[in-house]
Amino acid sequence: MQWWPFYGLKRQLAESREFASPVPPMRAVPRIFRHSLFIYVIDVGSSNALNFEISALESPQYSIHRYGIYLTDSPRHADILLVLGKPTAAMLPPLLETVSQLPEPFCIATIDDCPEDRERSYPDLPNHICALEGIPSPAQILGMLLDLSTPKRKTR
Amino acid sequence: MILFYWLSLLCFAGGALACFRIKWSYILGCAGSAFALACGIRALAGPVPIFHYSLATGITLSLGIDHLSALFMILAAISWIALSVYSIDYSALYPHRKLTLGINLCLLGMQLILVARDGITLLIGWEIMTVFAFLMMLTAGKFFERAYRFLAFGELSTACLLLGFAALYKITGSLSFDALKSAGAGALVLLSLGFIIKMDIVPFHGWMRGIYGEIPDNCAALLSAPVTLMGVYGMERIMPLVPANVTWNIVLILLGAFSAFWGGLQAVAVGKVRLLPAYSTVENNGMILSAIGFYALARSFPGTNLSYLADFALAASLVIALSHTFAKTLLFLSLGHAKEAYNVQQIEEARGIWSGVGRIPALGIVVSALSFSAFPPLIGYAGEWMILETIFQSYRFPSAAVAFFGALAGVLTALAIGLIGFAMIKLIGYTALGYDHGRKSRHIPNGLMHGVEIALILLLGGCGVGLPLVIFTLGYRGLLTGLLGVPAPLLLASGQPIFGVISPTFIAIIMIVLLLIPIWIFLRGRRRVRAVRSWNGGLRLTENEFFSAPAYSEILEHVLRSLYRTREINTAARSSVEVEDIMIRPTRALTRLVRKIGEGEALILMNGKISAYVTYILFLFVLAFVIGMIVM
Amino acid sequence: MKLLIGVIPPNEERAERLFVLEEGKAVLLKNVDDARVYPNYALLRDRPARINDRPVSGSGVFDFRYGPVTAGIREAGCFHLYTYGEKILRAGIDLSWKARGIEAAMLARTPDAALRLAETVCSNFAFSHSVAFSRAAESALGLVPDLAARKWRILLLEAERVTNHLYQLSRLSAAAAQKVLAAHLSALFEDALRLNACLGGSRYLMGINRLGAWERYPSAADSHTAIEGYILIARKFRQLYEHSLANYNYLDRLHAAGVLTPRQVEDFGLTGPTLRACGLDDQLNSGTEHLVNLPVITHNEGDALARMEIRAEELVNSCQYLADHLTTANTWRQGSGAEQQQPATEGEGCGVAHSPSGAVGYYLNIRDGLIREAAIFTPSYAGMHAVSTALEDLIFTDFPFVFDSFGVHFADAAR
Repeated sequence: MQWWPFYGLKRQLAESREFASPVPPMRAVPRIFRHSLFIYVIDVGSSNALNFEISALESPQYSIHRYGIYLTDSPRHADILLVLGKPTAAMLPPLLETVSQLPEPFCIATIDDCPEDRERSYPDLPNHICALEGIPSPAQILGMLLDLSTPKRKTR
Repeated sequence: MILFYWLSLLCFAGGALACFRIKWSYILGCAGSAFALACGIRALAGPVPIFHYSLATGITLSLGIDHLSALFMILAAISWIALSVYSIDYSALYPHRKLTLGINLCLLGMQLILVARDGITLLIGWEIMTVFAFLMMLTAGKFFERAYRFLAFGELSTACLLLGFAALYKITGSLSFDALKSAGAGALVLLSLGFIIKMDIVPFHGWMRGIYGEIPDNCAALLSAPVTLMGVYGMERIMPLVPANVTWNIVLILLGAFSAFWGGLQAVAVGKVRLLPAYSTVENNGMILSAIGFYALARSFPGTNLSYLADFALAASLVIALSHTFAKTLLFLSLGHAKEAYNVQQIEEARGIWSGVGRIPALGIVVSALSFSAFPPLIGYAGEWMILETIFQSYRFPSAAVAFFGALAGVLTALAIGLIGFAMIKLIGYTALGYDHGRKSRHIPNGLMHGVEIALILLLGGCGVGLPLVIFTLGYRGLLTGLLGVPAPLLLASGQPIFGVISPTFIAIIMIVLLLIPIWIFLRGRRRVRAVRSWNGGLRLTENEFFSAPAYSEILEHVLRSLYRTREINTAARSSVEVEDIMIRPTRALTRLVRKIGEGEALILMNGKISAYVTYILFLFVLAFVIGMIVM
Repeated sequence: MKLLIGVIPPNEERAERLFVLEEGKAVLLKNVDDARVYPNYALLRDRPARINDRPVSGSGVFDFRYGPVTAGIREAGCFHLYTYGEKILRAGIDLSWKARGIEAAMLARTPDAALRLAETVCSNFAFSHSVAFSRAAESALGLVPDLAARKWRILLLEAERVTNHLYQLSRLSAAAAQKVLAAHLSALFEDALRLNACLGGSRYLMGINRLGAWERYPSAADSHTAIEGYILIARKFRQLYEHSLANYNYLDRLHAAGVLTPRQVEDFGLTGPTLRACGLDDQLNSGTEHLVNLPVITHNEGDALARMEIRAEELVNSCQYLADHLTTANTWRQGSGAEQQQPATEGEGCGVAHSPSGAVGYYLNIRDGLIREAAIFTPSYAGMHAVSTALEDLIFTDFPFVFDSFGVHFADAAR
């Protein structure tokens, strides 16, 4: 029988390659985020592909913990609020409530999965640092996060 | 000092007579308690006889104060003073003459018990205390039957004492406490039972559940703290005197440990604000009884010299009695204050006392509940550590039975301490520190209430930090030592050679230092503080979304459903969980039986025929005569 | 077997229509008297956004609200769990947080534009939605898709099934505290997403299907990579699955948790693994007439374990199915297809596709080449009712793996 924990270690599922973001950060990144970035993910009306991509980002191939990137269970523990999708009318108040819970310094990154939808739009978000569009791959999302936590990095 | 004693009795009697001027009555009660305190403190210096009158051969009425009386008088008097001062404010809410009269005479009865040197004086005091405690309960109004249940237990206790002293007289020809050293097993069992019943030990707590939620708060505090303290005093008084009886001592240990466990178990599940501390009384008195049992066992266990353990066990019982009396008085008074300000009965309803009623009663609840949860450096921590250390040392007895039952008692006591911690967190978390839901309390006169609460909070902390001084005052300076850089006599040692040690004084110092450093760092940083709502999934909590108090303990009621007899009642739109204290089933059954007999009796005797009634009276007279002949 | 999966409300021109799945195929019934036959008729007619919204009161009972923002479910949705501490007395589910009004957004658009919207209803089922939409639109416009497109649709539905089942099994094992298994499954999940990209250019197979035709054929090299990939996934997954079945800790949590009876699933009109876990066959393979038939797997226990086993066995089958067919799929190229056809500009039609969690149905009414009426019927809506029922009387510990065993999504249910 296969002993899976050892199999995982032996196979080295984690990939070492360049993870690049399609867009650069829109403002200066606080130094306190270096090598330690805690992210709270909030879905405000995405088509679910982004939720799946975040799950894929947690897979061993990307092994985000090696970069000091962690997903948190509460916005109160987070450095970055990652907003998935464009907010539905109902989700606007919860989104603002979540923003109000973030400890300072914090930044907000958004991924807009249907940019052509003009009916819905983002409210004014403080410290909005990144705005991705479409359905970025986990590699691109990781690239964006690494721009915040490890801006000077070599190809790994 | 004798003058102080008589003055205290005089004040109590005056207070009772002045019951039509309620405030003055309480002020006199307070003065009487202050004299009692002064008398107790003075008597620490040495034993003093107060009064002696010979009725017949071997039957004398005598009063006197020794070290033990003095200690208990100090403990009780502090509680009495707190109660009386608190009652001055409280009387605006409950202006009942019966209550004032009852309290003053109840205090008088207790003051008599504490100095009694013989059976008759003790019984007189005992009966005064019981009857007037019953009178206080009647002010609650429509709960006569429940109050009668208390009276029935009180009279059962008196009956046990009466029979116990009768048995003592039969063997020794004397009713004096000095005669106890040649008392037989029968007298020992009956006398201890009499005191145990007053300590609300399971299953003699059956009266509590019905009435505790209904009576005024000062009455509840009196019943829970000083009145049960009289039971403790009785046990402490007789146990050093009576001949050794290993079996009975083990029974006492187990009864105490089980009572502690059961009290803790039930405290977790109750919903009424006042019933939780009432069950905590059952738990604490259980531990005290267990410690007294260990003391009696160690004092004269054949073939060993366990005098250090005996001293330690007795000191443990005294420390728990002290912490219980102060903390329970504080808890009842603070809870009563908040409960009245909110005008509610359930824990669930009395939320947010800190912001809704005031910080002082909330702090009173927190400090007393933490003391019951054995939180260092409060005095309750020392007490519970001492009882556990006592039980751990049951290995010192060269007997497999003691080791086995000691371990059993240890398991039950440890569970009790855990359970009561769980219950107290429920109490603190919901009442003192819970959300106030924007509710504001009604205004009640509270100046004196605040004073009493602050004084008791300081006393609880002070006794904990100053544990060496407390142990010294209790008369056990031999238990204090120094070790590993902690200077003597700051360390309390549980065994000789050293078994376990604590120093709440040192813990307090360390805690203060550890608290000061973060506070200093915090203040130095001058960080901007942003207040936000608690995080609840992105929305503000609505009224029906708050975690309820019954839900907090439901996990335990679910897991221990065989002990709690948990029943889930579910209909389409309503659901609830019900638990039962199965140890009050005997009380319930007896109540039913008595009710049935009463109804039957009424049918036979009160049916309008004078001849039947005369026959009944005649029968009772003959019965009393025959019993009297047998006893004498 | 006839299952009602949707009710199309009446309007001034026509009476109410029932969207029925008969032997796995979509049928529109006009006879309203049929409504009595289906126990889920009232449920589907009203389609309330708040499911099982009946508060419970009583001493100590409170509403444990889980959502709309949580790290556990992560989707915008909300559970109202009424409890007196440990037991879930009632589980209300509020879908309104995720409602994006996609049906309304489709109106007055061309079918081609609306097809892209259909893919965004629930993007992990994007391909199922796309196929169901195009089948409905084709049926409304009298368009016959070419054979290659039909074959690719059937084949890639299985690719979507593989991805989703891997995701769901990974979530389920994480919820049941099997972290190593969950990590390995999540690695396979990422592999499957990459294979999707390899076959269709999109990790969610979006934008490759269009009305009556097929947009993007994979190259021979891509097909070859995909074949090897699916064989590898099947092999690794089988090993992991056998290993997990030896773990009683895992099985104990799933066994007898969230049980549904065949009667209940029929009453809700459920399709997909939840129905098949109760021993009922929803003719999942009814649309595969051009290819080798897929076996339909059923289990009888109706619990979370049965649903997990169904997903696991289907996953292996689908991988095998993909590997087998991809070897010949290079020959499936567009012949004389839809380009030559002259589609109608109006008509009504319905279409269904068997998504990984059950049947997705679309009803479309097209006038002047624009969509006049659109109704989307998703497996997650009925599934949410089933979740709500299954959670009742469970303790809180069971919540995550019972929820994850259903494979339902707020995006899918709320539209």
